Amino acid sequence: MSAIADDLRRERAGPGRQRNRRRANFVIFLGPAIVLTILFFVIPVIIDVVVSFTDMGRSLQITGFTTEQYEKIFGGDRRLVQVIGLTLLYVFATLAIFNLTFALVLALVTTATNRMTGNFFRGVWLLPRMSPSVLYILLWVWVINPSEFGLLNQILMSVLGLETPIDPLNEAPVMLIIIANGFIGASMGMIIFTSAIRAIPEHLFHAARVDGAGSMAIIRHITLPALRWPISFVTIYQTLSLLVSFEYILLLTEGGPFYDTTVYALYIFRRAFDTGQYAYGAALAVFIIALGVFFALLGWRFFDMQKLLQRPRIEVQ
Amino acid sequence: MNRILVALAGATLLATPVLAEDVTLELWSRQDTSGPLRPGNVVKAAERLNAELEAEGSDKRVIVEVRESPAPGFDEDALQLLRVFGIGEGPDMFIQAHEWICAFQQDGFVLKLDDYLAKYPEHFGTIFPSLWESGKCPDGTYAIPQDAEARMFFYNKKLLREAGYDDAFIEAMPERTMSGDLTMDEVVEIAKSVVDKTDAEYGILHRPSKGPDYLMVFQTYGNDFVDPATGELLLERDKLAEAFGWFEKAVADGVIPANNTSMEWDAIRAEFYAEDNAAFWMYGIWDLGSRAFPTYGLPEDEEAFFKDWGWIAMPAAAKGGKPSSLTHPVIYAIAADTAEPELAVRLLGHASAVDLNTDHAVTTTHLGIKPEQLDDPRYAAAWPLARATELLEVTKFLPNNPQFGDLNGIIYTAMQGVETGRLSAEEAADFVIDEAEATLDNVMVK
Repeated sequence: MSAIADDLRRERAGPGRQRNRRRANFVIFLGPAIVLTILFFVIPVIIDVVVSFTDMGRSLQITGFTTEQYEKIFGGDRRLVQVIGLTLLYVFATLAIFNLTFALVLALVTTATNRMTGNFFRGVWLLPRMSPSVLYILLWVWVINPSEFGLLNQILMSVLGLETPIDPLNEAPVMLIIIANGFIGASMGMIIFTSAIRAIPEHLFHAARVDGAGSMAIIRHITLPALRWPISFVTIYQTLSLLVSFEYILLLTEGGPFYDTTVYALYIFRRAFDTGQYAYGAALAVFIIALGVFFALLGWRFFDMQKLLQRPRIEVQ
Repeated sequence: MNRILVALAGATLLATPVLAEDVTLELWSRQDTSGPLRPGNVVKAAERLNAELEAEGSDKRVIVEVRESPAPGFDEDALQLLRVFGIGEGPDMFIQAHEWICAFQQDGFVLKLDDYLAKYPEHFGTIFPSLWESGKCPDGTYAIPQDAEARMFFYNKKLLREAGYDDAFIEAMPERTMSGDLTMDEVVEIAKSVVDKTDAEYGILHRPSKGPDYLMVFQTYGNDFVDPATGELLLERDKLAEAFGWFEKAVADGVIPANNTSMEWDAIRAEFYAEDNAAFWMYGIWDLGSRAFPTYGLPEDEEAFFKDWGWIAMPAAAKGGKPSSLTHPVIYAIAADTAEPELAVRLLGHASAVDLNTDHAVTTTHLGIKPEQLDDPRYAAAWPLARATELLEVTKFLPNNPQFGDLNGIIYTAMQGVETGRLSAEEAADFVIDEAEATLDNVMVK
């Protein structure tokens, strides 16, 4: 029938030498990924679950096994509801505003202009991701400095004539962490969407033009449908990434003022490392693992990712 | 072959009169510009101990290895050291803030010192008895006090004069504080009139991180945090709310900036010492020696200093009440599992010598630990020490409860909540009690 099916048949019926070859290929191609997954996902998860059932305190010693940490999560911790609410807000706002929408706008705009200009602006938007996180946040600290010496206040006061300086860290901390993370997050979607747009056969655009389609119609009927899979992938990947990342927030606001910017992952960190409640931190982390798996499966189902991984229907020579 | 080796080794041993055995003692110390001689004196003490050992005919020689931790504060450093001990990589000796000592004692990491202290009266006999409280846990003494200090409100007299206060008023402030006539609310009033009537932006600034100074405000409102009968942590809701109320009012009056806890240390010091931009700065006496004189060029001469600058203890909560100040001794302690406890005790004994401790005291304006130091001309010449000693009559310690460091973290978070307008004073008191009850053991609430 098709060349692929023939290959498969040949493979299955093949003599021992081919079987060995297949095994070797499995080890060579999938081995590293499996080893990494076991080392950096499976084993840490097992350790985390075990620690969550102990009384490990600030000197890392375990004197007994207990379910006390889970009782605390379900009974005594009044910060949790606020922290979870903030986490959802932070993840979905960053995702919706920057990592998807803004990334898409950047990809569309930079592919619509000439190649040089497009490359330049994509390079500029990659800068935050390329800078070390401490350096990036240091720049933010200067930008939002609440005195008249901060960059933002200099602009607001000299250009827009604002009379007193503003203090975004105190007045709008959630917006601040969304923007600071979004500026970094946008670049990943931008790169992936750009390459997807570039992969659309040129003749489709020409044909659409000939048929009288305007720019918006081309985006709507040609570009966006071609971006379906990249968008699905970026959504799932960035949701998981935002859910567990907190280093920029820790550096910029330390989770404050008060608990205003303490997202779930940072909350685990504060509990475990600020006060040495390691077992409690481990128990809290069990839920972020579960939440991550849940979101991954939900996204898989929602975007019908299985379809993406099907064998192609056309023959590949 | 083996016999030849043994014979060779034996011959070498016989040929060398005494083969010195090097004993390496590791000292854990936080990198801290406000006290470089804390580890430095231990290193110097090794020479003295080695000379003593030689005189005794001992073949042991002590080498001190300092392991510096980059922790930004004592609380972070203590948590890090607890982890280091927890994985069996602990040092032989360590330097810590005193209120953490019982956390180390609780986990069995620190050596009980009572017998050793009695054995070496020449080293430890004259240390001020009151200072030993800072090294005590319920069942004995676990640490040797290394220094002491006093914490206070520094104030800028230039700004007070500019705001219309006359010299008589300004000069009487320390005495009025000590007699209980000046109150915490009056400090806010003075600071407010400085902000209103001068170009200065800030009335009162305090540290932007977790630490001891702001706890003076809580103490002055009657919070001692420990039940004297049981030694357990004690939280009194009304007294907590009153202390948080002071911060709430100060922020509402525009005296403490709402973002004080997110300001930079150096920026705060510069506002106070260099820019004449803040009326009061709540900190401690060592700041003069370690930052104000060398970095910001404040006059080192006593008269010149007091012309434009001054300090007061934490005033009373209400007229006629008691003022307070806080001393926060740093301590030397020895690991329970050190191979050479005796040598470590003797080494720290030498490090506590009058001359070495005075070196530390006068270079960083910390208070000494022995009465003999008062006779040292260098100590007598260091006027900030003598003047700060006046506060000792109202000075308190932080409680040596193993959970106090954690409680302080909760209090700091609540204080940040109040200042940034996230919590009212009442809510902050509830927050502290809720958090303490949920995360700490055996907390008494009144």
